[in-house]
Amino acid sequence: MAKSILIIDDSASMRQVVAMTLNNAGYDTVEACDGEDALGKLDGRKFHLMICDVNMPRLDGLGFVRAVKDNPQYKFTPIVMLTTEAGDDKKAQGQAVGARAWVVKPFQPPQLLAAVAKLALP
Amino acid sequence: MNLDMALQTFLGESRELLTDLEDGLLGLSGDAAADAERINAIFRAAHTIKGSAGLFGLDAVVAFTHIVESVLDRVRAGDCTIDEALRTLLLSCRDHIAELIDACAAGAPPAALLERSAALGTQLQSRLATPAVVQAAAQQIEPRAIATTTDGHWHVSVRFGSEVLRNGMDPLAMLRYLGTLGTIEHVATLTDAVPPLAELDAERCYLGYEVTLRSNADATAIADAFEFVREDSLVRVLAPDCGSDAYLSLIRELPEADDRLGAILLAAGVLSPAELDAGLTRQRQLDTTEVPGHQPLGHILVAEQGVSPAAVNAALEQQSRARGSEHRQIRIGADKLDELIDLVGELVIASAATSLRATHSRDAELIESTQALGALVELIRDSALNLRTVPIGETFSRFRRVVHDLSRELGKDIELVLNGEDTELDKSIVERLADPLTHLVRNAIDHGIEPVEARLARGKPARGTVMLNARHDSGSIVIEVQDDGNGLDAERIAAKARERGLLRADQTPSEQDIFQLIFEPGFSTANAVTNLSGRGVGMDVVKRAIEALRGTVEMSSQAGAGTCCSIRLPLTLAIIDGFLVGVGDGTYVIPLDQMVECVELGGSQASEARRNGYINLRGRVLPLLHLHEHFAADGARERRENLVVVNHAGQQAGLVVDRLIGEFQTVIKPLGRLFAAASCFSGATILGSGAVALILDIPGLLAQSSGAGERAAA
Repeated sequence: MAKSILIIDDSASMRQVVAMTLNNAGYDTVEACDGEDALGKLDGRKFHLMICDVNMPRLDGLGFVRAVKDNPQYKFTPIVMLTTEAGDDKKAQGQAVGARAWVVKPFQPPQLLAAVAKLALP
Repeated sequence: MNLDMALQTFLGESRELLTDLEDGLLGLSGDAAADAERINAIFRAAHTIKGSAGLFGLDAVVAFTHIVESVLDRVRAGDCTIDEALRTLLLSCRDHIAELIDACAAGAPPAALLERSAALGTQLQSRLATPAVVQAAAQQIEPRAIATTTDGHWHVSVRFGSEVLRNGMDPLAMLRYLGTLGTIEHVATLTDAVPPLAELDAERCYLGYEVTLRSNADATAIADAFEFVREDSLVRVLAPDCGSDAYLSLIRELPEADDRLGAILLAAGVLSPAELDAGLTRQRQLDTTEVPGHQPLGHILVAEQGVSPAAVNAALEQQSRARGSEHRQIRIGADKLDELIDLVGELVIASAATSLRATHSRDAELIESTQALGALVELIRDSALNLRTVPIGETFSRFRRVVHDLSRELGKDIELVLNGEDTELDKSIVERLADPLTHLVRNAIDHGIEPVEARLARGKPARGTVMLNARHDSGSIVIEVQDDGNGLDAERIAAKARERGLLRADQTPSEQDIFQLIFEPGFSTANAVTNLSGRGVGMDVVKRAIEALRGTVEMSSQAGAGTCCSIRLPLTLAIIDGFLVGVGDGTYVIPLDQMVECVELGGSQASEARRNGYINLRGRVLPLLHLHEHFAADGARERRENLVVVNHAGQQAGLVVDRLIGEFQTVIKPLGRLFAAASCFSGATILGSGAVALILDIPGLLAQSSGAGERAAA
C-alpha cells in the first residue's frame, strides 16, 4: 500500500505541485490548507509523513508541529518543513519544537523527494 | 495533472492574495491589535506569492517580491511602521507584482517592467536597514558534483542522538534510504548504549550502526542520507580505498571500546586482522599515553575469543566469496534486455523465412542446415526470454503485509498461504499483475472470509485462509487467489445481474456463467460499501487488466466453502509457437499450445458439419466454427476442409479452416487501437513471405461464436 503523506500549505498551487510530485513518486497524499485544517484531517488516520509550510493563517506551521508532538498517536510522525524561511532564527524555533527536516522553497522535485525518502521510502 | 494546471491555480491564487494584500493595506486603521493581524496577513500574501512563484520558475516575480517581503518582515517585527508614503509605495508594488506575474506566465517579462522592478526596489531598499540581496538566483540548488568515484565499498558509522525518535526521525527509514544509493552489504547494530530495562526510556534512541555500503554515489550524497539528524548524531563516512589508517582513527573516535569496533570491522570484512594489528600497534607507539602491556588488538580479539579464528576466517572467506560472486552476477539495464528480446524476435522471423525458402527450394542440404539453425534460434529465444523471467514469490510475499493490515483493520483472523512461489514468469507480466492481484486479495479478505463468529457457527476454524497459488499449465501460467470463506451466492448474483440489466429475466445460465457476471462493468454485490473494496473499482478492472496481458480470469465457488479466482496467463508476451492455417485468401496463426489435433473434414461429413454446427468426434459432440464464414473471407472455399481442434480452459471446439500450413514460430506484433474491438485477434505477425497473418485469440473467438450462437437461438 502506498505511503500516505499530509501536505499542509495555504497556497493551493504549492499543494498541487507538491502533491503532483509525490503522487508521481508513488505516495498517497492528503491536503490541508492550514494547521487547523490539518489537525481536523488527522482524525485517527495513519500518515507516514507530513509536509508543512511555516507561514499560514489560523494555525501556523510551528503551532501545528507543537500540537502534533502533543498528540500521542502522531508524536513520532516525521514532519518536513517546506518553507521560504531560510533564516537561522526561524530554523532554531523549528528545532525547538522538534521540526528537524527543513526544505527551502522553491524546491526542485528531486530535492523534495530525496528529503521525503530519507524519512519514508515510497 | 500537470504543471500547467498548477500554474493556472497559481495565477488564480495570486490574484486572490494580491486582493488580500490590497485590502490589508487599505484596512490599516492605527489600532495596534487589529493592525498586527492585518500586517501578518499582508506579509503572508507576499510570502506565499514568492514561494509559489519560485516553483514555476517565475524568477522576476520572486526577486521583486522578496524585497517587498523583506520590508514587510521589518514592519511585522516592529522595526518600521507603515506611514502614508510606504502604504502608497506598497500599493504600487502590489500592482507591479500583478503585472509581473501575468507577464512572466505569458513568457519573458518586457524590459520596461524589469526597469520598474528596479526603480520600486530602490525605493523599498531605503526602508531596509541592510539592503536585501536579491536571492532568487542564490536559491537555486547547486547541481550535485557528479560522482567520479567508481563503485566501491563505503563505510558509514552512525550513532543516533537520543532525541531522534521524538523528532519524528526513524533510523530504519534512513538506513532504507541509504539502501537506495547502493547495496547495503553489511549492517552491525550497536546496542552498547541501551541501558538496563528499568532505566530504558522507550522514546529515546540508543542505537548506532556500522554499515558497509557498495555504491557509486559521492560522499556528500551518502552523508546527506542523515542530513536531518546530523545536528544531534554522530555520522562518519569513509570512502572506498581510504586505507586502514582512516578506519583506525574512526575506531578511536567512536564511543565504543576499540576491540568491539575492531571485531565489527573484521566481521564486515573491511579490515583484515593483520591490518588491524599493524595499525593499532603503530598508533600506540606514537601514543604517549600508551597503557603498558597492551597487546595488539587483533591478537587480543583472537586470544580472548572476542572473535574466534574461525569467525575471522569465515568473515574473510565470505568477503572473497562476495568479491567472487560480483563477477558472476552482471547488472544490466532492463531496456538493454528488451532490445535483445526485440532482436531475438526479428531473428525468429528471419529464421522462419529462411526455412520457408529452403523448403521451397527442395535442396535437402539447405533444408537440413536451416533446420539446425532453426533449432539454435529456438534455444536462443528460450534463453533470451528466460533472462527476463522472475519468480513470482516476490510479488506474492508483498501480500503478507496487505493481509496482515487488512485483517487487523476488519477484526478478522486470516492466514496467507503461498504455493508455487518459484514459478517464473515474464517480468513485464509480473509488474502488471500486482494491481489486479491486490484487488482480488482484498476482495477475498473483505467479502470472502466471514467474521470469526460466523466461521465458528459454520464449524470452520476461526482462522480464515487466503491462498495464493502459481503453477505452469500447458504453455500458460495459472495463478489462483483462493479463500475458504463465504463463497459466491449464485442466486444473489443472478438477481443483481437482472436488476442491472446484465441478464434477461428469461435467461437461466449455468452457475459457472453466473459467476463470470461479476466481471461485468458496474457490478458489485457488497451490501455495505466498505472502506476496502467496493470503491467503484470493480472486478471488471481486474478482468481488463488480465485481458490486456492476453490472459483470462475465471471464478469458481462453492457456497459456504470458499471461492477461487484463477488467472491464466501466457508465459511471455513476445513470442509464441503458432500453427499456420489458411482461410480463403488469408493466413491465420493459431497458438500451438491451445491446439489439440487436426482432422480432415471431407465429403458427407463436411456438409453434415455445416448443417448442424457440430460433429461427432469419436463419440463426443464438438461444436464447430466455420472461419471462412465467420470472417466472411474472400476467395473460394476448398472442397476438402480441415478441422483444428482447440482447447481452452477445459472447453474444446473445432475451427473449420481451408488449409493447414504448418507449425510456425512467431513474434507477436500488437494490433493498433483500431482493432481494439476485434477480440478474436490477439495480434499480428509477419510471415517469411512478408505477408501479414493475424493471430487468433482462442478465448475471444470462442466467446464470440457462443455469443453469436445464443443470438441465433434467441
